[in-house]
Amino acid sequence: MSIIDTSANLNRWRTRPLAEKALLAIGMLLIAVAVPSWEGALLVAVVMAGVTLLGARIAPAVWWQALAAPLGFLLIGSLTLAFQVSDWHVSLAPHGLELSLRLMARAFAATLCLLFLALTTPATDLVAGLRRLGVPAEIAEMALLMYRFLFLLVDTAHAMNVAQAARLCHITRRRRMHSLGLLVANLMPRALARAAALEVGLAARGWHGELRVQRDTRAASRAAIAAIVLLEGVVLCIALRTR
Amino acid sequence: MHRAAHPVSLLEARALAHSYPGGVRALDGLDLRIERGRRLAILGPNGSGKTTALLHLNGILKPHAGTVLLDGEPAAYDTHSLTGWRRRVGLVLQNADDQLFAATVAEDVSFGPLNLGLDAAQVRSRVQYALAALHVTALAERATHMLSFGQKKRVAIAGLVAMQPEVLLLDEPTAGLDRQGTEDLLAVLAELERSSGATLVLSTHDVDLAWRFADDVALFDSGRTISQGPVTETLMAPDLLRQAGLAMPFLLRFGLRAREVGMLGDNEPLPRTPEAALELLSLARSVPSALD
Repeated sequence: MSIIDTSANLNRWRTRPLAEKALLAIGMLLIAVAVPSWEGALLVAVVMAGVTLLGARIAPAVWWQALAAPLGFLLIGSLTLAFQVSDWHVSLAPHGLELSLRLMARAFAATLCLLFLALTTPATDLVAGLRRLGVPAEIAEMALLMYRFLFLLVDTAHAMNVAQAARLCHITRRRRMHSLGLLVANLMPRALARAAALEVGLAARGWHGELRVQRDTRAASRAAIAAIVLLEGVVLCIALRTR
Repeated sequence: MHRAAHPVSLLEARALAHSYPGGVRALDGLDLRIERGRRLAILGPNGSGKTTALLHLNGILKPHAGTVLLDGEPAAYDTHSLTGWRRRVGLVLQNADDQLFAATVAEDVSFGPLNLGLDAAQVRSRVQYALAALHVTALAERATHMLSFGQKKRVAIAGLVAMQPEVLLLDEPTAGLDRQGTEDLLAVLAELERSSGATLVLSTHDVDLAWRFADDVALFDSGRTISQGPVTETLMAPDLLRQAGLAMPFLLRFGLRAREVGMLGDNEPLPRTPEAALELLSLARSVPSALD
């Protein structure tokens, strides 16, 4: 299971209403994108890191592990902005460094906003939220099932990988590639078999085409909403005054 | 025979036949009766058709030949009839992962009752009842894919218990469970039987489990029932057991031997649990003459 999923299910804010978490994450994201100065975006990043680590008590190691990959993409992506290529020469672009810094700060802040949501909110809560926003039930259910199958697939792939390793299928690079091919080829029929079995399981429970479950949604608390709006107001004011 | 002398079974299979693609004959003229209030163990080796039979008893598979009867009436396979059928007959699959799909335990358990068309308040009370019955109330808000094997098993059963079926079919419920897990599950099932009055049916290849759990046994071999009746009769037929690749339960052999040596009277009940067998031994010890 991915660390993101584990943390989403076990963090301190797991049961906080989705509306509150979404308001915080999306509100801050909009501020990070809208504010012209990169210092403003950086402020959003600091606040979101604080909220994630101190508020929801996500373990710093987990947070960093989830952040590392997007951060890598982000660095490579924004650094290229600093350079220009003309007539086979690579040189610093005019205002390139500043441009690149600005983009980096903004993207970093936006990433932290989404990471906060991902690390504190189970995917199923997000899907349920989409459904409340008017996404058709069929699409929401498909997303939910795909999410469920992802874990079955990963488990199956993991088990097959262990079985291969136990039979020395990874002993050379050639063998390893060959084994990987076999694994991928076998995953598909297995996944279909699992899907068929799940269909039987659901049918046994009286399923007739609609995957409905009872979900107890807690209403967002007014105090929390007010606090979030206040926090976002303060961040926005400070961010606007930095330039 | 006169009809009144032969009470109608709660659920009955008559001459069921079913082949899987590729020509494997899973069921080959299978007969089975489930009587209200009597625990039935469907006993047979791997590949004898136990799972296929259970899938027929719940209307998931349609027999290629033969009939399933509910209260003596042949079952129909339209959506409306199937809903009514599954309301009365619940099936717990062997692999809990094939049954759990929702995010949290409480949500998953609510799936069955919602399919029955109950309102929100009823669904909520059904979920609470089922979680309490399986002793998993503490897991209500946990993610289903983060549960242990034994927990998944219980949650899967709770999902069916919430539908309050008259018959609960359990496919190899103790497979893969450790000793304590098995003990706990059997205790929970006994409690459930008392509180809900549901008729319990389980499939197994474990003769000791069948001897301990069941009132009646249906012995399966190669897609047929080779005998069905009270556990004290079916499990005392070594030839039939051998035909199915099985052997007499240890405690039954122990009990019969105890009768032979006079430790146990002919009309006294045979020990069904290890504790009962030990009790017998300690009684014998206090009366030394019995062992002479």
